[in-house]
Amino acid sequence: MSRRGPLTRRDALAVLGAGAAGLLLGCGDDGPGPRPGDTLRRALADPDGDGLLDASGGIAMVDRTDLGRAGRAGDTLATVAQVTDVHVRDAQSPGRVPFLDRAGPRFGSAFRPHELLSLHVLAATVATVNAAGPDAVLITGDLIDSAQGNELAWALTLLRGGTAAPASGASGYDGVQAASIPDPFYYRPDIDAPRHPGLLRAALAPVRSAGLRAPWHAALGNHDLLVQGEIAPSPVITAVATGDELIVAPDRELLRLGDAGRLDREQLETLLRAGLPGETITVPRDPARAHVGAASLVRRLGGRGDRLDRAFAVGDDLWVVVLDLVRRDAGSGGIVGAEVLAALTAGLNAAEDRRVLVVCHQPLHDATGAEPAVALLDEDPRVVAVVAGHRHRNEITPRRTPAGGYWLISTASVVDFPQQWRMLRVRAAPRGATVLETWTVDHEGRPGDPDDLAGVARDLAFLDPQGGRPARAAGAVRHRNARLHLPARSLRAPAPRAVPPAVTADPASAGFGAGDAF
Amino acid sequence: MRNAWAGLRARPGRAALTGAGIAAAALVLGVALTVAVGLATGFDRAATQADLPSVVARFDEEDPRDVADRVRRLPNLAAHSFRYEVTRVELRAGANRLGEGVVHVVGGGRRGYAVVAGRDVGDAAGEVVIEQGLAREWDLGPGDTLDVGEAGPAEVVGVAVAPDNVAFPLARTARVYLSEAGLLQQFPEGSRFPANLVLLWAADEERADVLLSFARQSAYGLSSVRFLTREGLRSLVEQASGIVVALLVAFAIIACALAGVLLAAGAHSEIQRRLAQLGVQRALGVTPGAVTAVAAAQGALVAAPAAAAGLLVGGLLAAGGTDAVLAALNELPPGPGARATVLAGAWGGVVALVAGSAAWPAWRAARRPPAGLLRGGDVSPPRKAARGRGGMTALGARLVTAHRARYAAVVAVLGMAAAVVLLLLALASLLERLRDDPATLGKRYSLTAALPADRADEVRALPGVAAAAPRYEQRATGASALGSPLRVIAYPGDHTIFEAPALAAGRRLAGPGEAEVGQGLADALGLRPGSTLAIQPGDGEELRFRVVGVVRALQDEGRVAYVRPDRLLAASPSLEAPLAVRLDDGADAAAVRAALARLGAEPRAVGGATGDDRGFLAVLAGLLRLVAVTVGLVCLYALVQSLALTVRERRGAVAVLRAAGADHRALRRLLFGAATAVVIPAAVVAVALEEVVLAPATARLAAGYADLPLGAGLGQAVAVSGALLGLAALASWEMARRLAREPVVTGLRETGR
Repeated sequence: MSRRGPLTRRDALAVLGAGAAGLLLGCGDDGPGPRPGDTLRRALADPDGDGLLDASGGIAMVDRTDLGRAGRAGDTLATVAQVTDVHVRDAQSPGRVPFLDRAGPRFGSAFRPHELLSLHVLAATVATVNAAGPDAVLITGDLIDSAQGNELAWALTLLRGGTAAPASGASGYDGVQAASIPDPFYYRPDIDAPRHPGLLRAALAPVRSAGLRAPWHAALGNHDLLVQGEIAPSPVITAVATGDELIVAPDRELLRLGDAGRLDREQLETLLRAGLPGETITVPRDPARAHVGAASLVRRLGGRGDRLDRAFAVGDDLWVVVLDLVRRDAGSGGIVGAEVLAALTAGLNAAEDRRVLVVCHQPLHDATGAEPAVALLDEDPRVVAVVAGHRHRNEITPRRTPAGGYWLISTASVVDFPQQWRMLRVRAAPRGATVLETWTVDHEGRPGDPDDLAGVARDLAFLDPQGGRPARAAGAVRHRNARLHLPARSLRAPAPRAVPPAVTADPASAGFGAGDAF
Repeated sequence: MRNAWAGLRARPGRAALTGAGIAAAALVLGVALTVAVGLATGFDRAATQADLPSVVARFDEEDPRDVADRVRRLPNLAAHSFRYEVTRVELRAGANRLGEGVVHVVGGGRRGYAVVAGRDVGDAAGEVVIEQGLAREWDLGPGDTLDVGEAGPAEVVGVAVAPDNVAFPLARTARVYLSEAGLLQQFPEGSRFPANLVLLWAADEERADVLLSFARQSAYGLSSVRFLTREGLRSLVEQASGIVVALLVAFAIIACALAGVLLAAGAHSEIQRRLAQLGVQRALGVTPGAVTAVAAAQGALVAAPAAAAGLLVGGLLAAGGTDAVLAALNELPPGPGARATVLAGAWGGVVALVAGSAAWPAWRAARRPPAGLLRGGDVSPPRKAARGRGGMTALGARLVTAHRARYAAVVAVLGMAAAVVLLLLALASLLERLRDDPATLGKRYSLTAALPADRADEVRALPGVAAAAPRYEQRATGASALGSPLRVIAYPGDHTIFEAPALAAGRRLAGPGEAEVGQGLADALGLRPGSTLAIQPGDGEELRFRVVGVVRALQDEGRVAYVRPDRLLAASPSLEAPLAVRLDDGADAAAVRAALARLGAEPRAVGGATGDDRGFLAVLAGLLRLVAVTVGLVCLYALVQSLALTVRERRGAVAVLRAAGADHRALRRLLFGAATAVVIPAAVVAVALEEVVLAPATARLAAGYADLPLGAGLGQAVAVSGALLGLAALASWEMARRLAREPVVTGLRETGR
């Protein structure tokens, strides 16, 4: 209820304060050029290939008619923001394995030059999500990097609104990027080009976020639950993470051991008990680095039990089914077991005559044992798209089915270049057709601004030889900004179905070292 | 302009004399500019023309396909190409033979060298492109045949230049290029060659450091990785050519400045001499502006042809020597157009300088009352009567010193020119010492012996040996500036026994983990006592040292660091070190060498800072001689002008002397006295100027990171003074000869006016 009446002194002060705050905010925006955001209006590009991102023109949506003719888009049924693979990281944790980068691309980006800035990137992402104003936000996994409690606490603080500092151990930076580390295979911002003197100190300062205004829902990613996204925590591994010995450069023998094949848990724990061979530095112990168990993680992400499968409505016309494909033992790839099939069946049965978005971290269709789940989706005309992350690249492919088909949408990560999130707008079209409009959005970090740490993070991510630039993770325009047309069809709910039997998972795939995509 | 032209035509002799002075100064300027511009820009020109890569990465042999994926991922990368380098290949052509040939097997992509004659290698077998130094030294060209190791005879199809090393024979190795496709035709058993070099071109050269930084971060697993940037290559080429080119360029810059001063002083004194004339013009109602304009126009009219002639001759004289130096450095000379542009700019500058230098005093003078001008003019009698002592020589001195301002100007000009000659002599002697005397580098040891470190005691026990210790040396780059090559030198104990460059700041190193760095390195990396020296040796992880001192070392342009060997050996256990051997004062070096040889060592004398290629040094000496001759001409001109003016002004007095019986010999004494009165103070000025201004300025320009002993010695000062006196005698003899030809009555008539 609003109150009307004469303007009080308190009201006047509030108005003045708001005006001053607006003025200050306006001043704060007077950086070198406008802040990035919606790529429909303005995108970032490096046309001359010099490694510097510049603002360029917007990227208009292209019509994709792989599954149905382009029709007139009608009312907007729902807008959803997909934020994926943020990888909030405790860059000073002894539980990390940044040295694995030197074993080659098989391990992917174990080390990132901008890894201390993940909180800044998340805060800058939250800002542009809020500016876009979606009905809901889907965080499709790998919110954190290595299943540590402090990583989760920082991430949740920024998503909910508040201040967090990416510091663990004692004050100051103790990690592989320090200028005192004589290992030239790490990027050390104080001495390596592009030089950012003082970046390590600045990065550890508290980061403030307004928090997501829209309701948000998380899917579980392998990095949320598994150490380095690969192996379930154990007391031995947690002791390393909370301990005081950070390995900087492993002996070559250790890397050769990794080259020879995947390490299983037993081999890894044996190595850890003996102490990993190589050069180490001593860092302060920190119990906050302890790994989070599945139950605690699921609870803190808004679920119940130890799995994060769920379904919910966004508005009146969109039904979202979130699946938890994360292995509980080891391995980064997704797996579809009986629980997933049960959750999917239940979710679809509850969708009524709404359009359905299926959401998971690993691409469902590539997961082990996915066939029954895929069969369920293929038969269902209400399914609009299956949305995933994990691969750190934008890719949109049509899935043709007798029921009319749906779209498989993979979205680039927030951690690696292009550091974007995806907007999805579901619009009705005549006779049950659907137009799914999607476009990518940059976080608000300004490129080329050394004082904007989120911008610095994107600049460094762009340079990263193991990152999204060389992997062309941004993808072609048709994988980024597109109007995805689905044909006219009946959206009436089919008869409830029974849970199909699960396919036995391949145990050989459950090992350490499969890595995420790129 | 018409008035100016008329004024010049009225006194053609004086105009010609002025023009000769300008031409002489322009000659110096032409020589100096040609040398300075050619040498200072040679590397950049060659690098641009050769499309020199931004970064060259060397590593042990790899399959290029394995490395290509890493390379393609690098940021700011425009292009890359692989090469396979094979060293110690025997090259033969006719009677010439070289065991230090270097073959580069080139595949597709950008080359990184400029073909300056013929064409590049194609896909056909039996074709070779050779480096310019080899072509010149062995007189090879397209169409000739060169035997290239196991590849056998190949037709030379082109001659190439790449400034990534100095040219053969200044470098001991000679490089040739073969195509991979051609070799695969010749040796079909291989599918492709390995690679041990990758050339990287940055999209933005200004950000090549980013490309390099990530290239290094991506190099894990490659063995013996070394990176060289364009700037690093420039440093290496400059280090290989020694300090001489830097000295030459610095000297040329000084000579340019001198030429400018000469021109300005000449034009200024010309106006001073014409003050009375200006007074008459002003008395007749000519405005100051018109007087100034006429003076400027006269200066420009005289300077234009004279400067053109001097610059052209100077440019032509210096071009050959400069080109030879550039060729020895694998650099390219400027094209005729570029040279013409530089000389045309200089011509414009000279004309403007002369016109301005004439206009400014004319403007100042013209604004004075005409009466004052006429009082201060040449028509006024001298303020002091000459005393009658000292005979003809003293009288000559009094005549030339009568006009003090002009006298001072002549002394200054002559002193400056002589100072440059002194500088030349000091340079020559320094070059000689740099070539032969390791002490100029701060080295106190004179021999090295290839013996293991544990035999140092045996060497120390030899008669005549004062000290012996292993000397470790490793090439590295700055970890934070990979384009900055440096040399790390380590002794297990007190290194100052063997090498003691002057300490500029901080203290000497006292233990492992500490470093003394050269001023050049300190400047390049921003180091000072207390900061950390982070280096990347050729292979392996970085090393850190705490800088405790900064030294003024001449070696490698001051890019050196002295440390204890512990950390070097920990990083590179196989690092070898010959023994540095310091001899007792007065010890017989030959006897010590013989004793070392008996121990099984291979004793080697320690050299200086310059290359020892005689041809290269001969070219440099030729250039210096050329400059010396042109400066000598300036000196002679200054003397002749001074005497001519004196004679002209004192025509009447001289005529009276001749009428009173002064013969040819007396006239010579008179003029010699006048000339001596100029050259003696000029010699003093020259010595002072060289010592206080020119030597420090040249040393700073050439090598601000070290102390270059460029002060002239006593012998050199005496030699220059003697030369000046000789020139004085020559000039007085010539003037006396001319004067004797003139009828006495002409001078007497002038007196009577």
